[in-house]
Amino acid sequence: MSAAAPVARRRAWQDPALLAPLTILLAALFLAPLLLMVPMSFREYDPGTGVVAGSWTLENYSRLLTDEFYREVALRTLGLGLAVTACSLLLGYPLAYVIARGNPRWRVTLVLLVVFPMMLNLVVRSFGWIALLSNHGLINNLLVGLGLIDTPLKLMFNLTGLIIGLTHIYLPFMVLMLVSSIQGVPRDVEAAASTLGSSRFHVFRAVTLPLTAPGILTGSILVFVLTVSALVTPRMLGGPTYKVMATLIYDEYMQLLDWPSGSALAFALTVVVLAFIWASSRLAKRWGGMA
Amino acid sequence: MAKLTLERLHKRYGELSVVDDVSLSIADGEFLSLLGPSGCGKTTILRMVAGLVDPSGGTIRIGDQDVTQLPPNKREIGLVFQSYALFPHLSVAENVAFGLRRRGVGGNELKERVTAALALVRLSAYGERKPRELSGGQQQRVAIARAVAPRPRVLLFDEPLSNLDAQLRDEMQIELKRLQSQLHLTSVFVTHDQQEALSLSDRVCVLAGGEIQQIATPEDLYHRPANAFIASFIGKPNRLVGDVAERRGVGGVLAVGGFRLPSAQVDAPVGTEVDVIVRQEAVQVHRHPVADGIPATISLRSFSGAHVQYVVTVAPGVELLAQAPSTGDAASLAPATQVWLDIDPAAVFALPKQEAQA
Repeated sequence: MSAAAPVARRRAWQDPALLAPLTILLAALFLAPLLLMVPMSFREYDPGTGVVAGSWTLENYSRLLTDEFYREVALRTLGLGLAVTACSLLLGYPLAYVIARGNPRWRVTLVLLVVFPMMLNLVVRSFGWIALLSNHGLINNLLVGLGLIDTPLKLMFNLTGLIIGLTHIYLPFMVLMLVSSIQGVPRDVEAAASTLGSSRFHVFRAVTLPLTAPGILTGSILVFVLTVSALVTPRMLGGPTYKVMATLIYDEYMQLLDWPSGSALAFALTVVVLAFIWASSRLAKRWGGMA
Repeated sequence: MAKLTLERLHKRYGELSVVDDVSLSIADGEFLSLLGPSGCGKTTILRMVAGLVDPSGGTIRIGDQDVTQLPPNKREIGLVFQSYALFPHLSVAENVAFGLRRRGVGGNELKERVTAALALVRLSAYGERKPRELSGGQQQRVAIARAVAPRPRVLLFDEPLSNLDAQLRDEMQIELKRLQSQLHLTSVFVTHDQQEALSLSDRVCVLAGGEIQQIATPEDLYHRPANAFIASFIGKPNRLVGDVAERRGVGGVLAVGGFRLPSAQVDAPVGTEVDVIVRQEAVQVHRHPVADGIPATISLRSFSGAHVQYVVTVAPGVELLAQAPSTGDAASLAPATQVWLDIDPAAVFALPKQEAQA
């Protein structure tokens, strides 16, 4: 005990001291501005004169539920988040499984291939999708040229385009999370299940999948959060009219100069996202038996 | 329960032969150990029986059924792993129920059989716990209950005690022995620990380099090793170098460092230099001269509980390890004491030089 006490005392001030620079930086540059936005979100906005000083209103928030346009954008954003997360998971899990369980010689190469798109600028990647998905893009030209369709498919300025583009962009995050999670499943535990009478599919369903639940959860949260807050790709593939929360907030701030409304939307989005994360981690914990 | 038969089993990885032409028959209810140094192919054999490794050639039969091509889940075997391999996301009871459910056991019968299996390993009170809340020994007992519960035709153990500390290992050995006397399961037990193999098994199969060296009862293996490798592998050997002075039947007399040592088993012609194996437990230390005793001096003494270990010098540069009971005449001999050694010829083996390296 006597030997341990000085160590514990040193640790007591050491950890906060080590964290201090980052804490101060975050508090000054991130937390303080954020808190300044809270009163702003309750101010009235007059299109002619701007923010009405000293005014208080809940309308910026209630608009999300009462105004059909805002409500549609909010639901669309959440739907997009869920769809992109589901697509990334469905496409990413098999890929991650192959990387984690396949020939180790190919592992580094495959991981590099997964990460490679992230080295390209987001704008460039989104432009790439425009070239592929637009009415006279590669896909539609090909399908029309082959005589499979008469009029071009609508792949842009709608949900389809955003799901395709965002799934591609955020898939690497999901795959990287899943690879390490699948690698963490002991092979002996799977072998035990098979000697106890589990078919390969049952081993996967009853052992591998629940044991990778934490990876599925972190990957899904990451992709969901990135998707609902994505700005550049929705703007490019959705155009000026097909809006999601992020583009809407951007427009409120930068084009309408309606800061109160923009801040209210931003906070509402944050709250909803936190609620989603909380609910999904509850679910995953129960499923993975970690509760 | 059923007998298990391996016929001409092979496993090759490219050029490397890991298991070479192994044929083995394990009777219904028999407990057989596969014993050998690491890399001798024992685990590979076990995993081939379980269906987790595909053999390169040969046949595996459980009862009269050829299971060589069957996947693990169709073999009705139980496997206990060195790493326990419990399902961390399931409770202890659900771990045990896993194999039962797979065989369509449900309802009250499921409950009863889970309860019975947990009672068998004395963990009745732990059904609702998660595996991580148990100690290593308890986890391994859950793993045994899980493997036994569906009444497998063959029970396989892959070094199940290696991850446990010494005291627990002894307790688990007794637990296994008790289990075996209750269940009479056809069992294959892989281990590198000769003491485990000798104390648990009906028969022991010693492997080296992927080949069977000897299959025998523990008593035969210890007292009548089939070859030099086994003589040097079983027991606690002293390793010396000497020459064959004389041959008498399978035995003879060896010349080691200026004294003559009778040996029950000599695998070399007269005049050749040989490696000499003398089991420590067969070297008795006496304070007074005995008939045919070899004079020696004590170099070191170390106390180890029930026994005292001595390093004795027989001739310059020739040292032997010997044991004496820690109570009695030879219990507290100081270094430099003159003693006489009585060495049982049955525990002295001579083998051609290079083979001892195997």
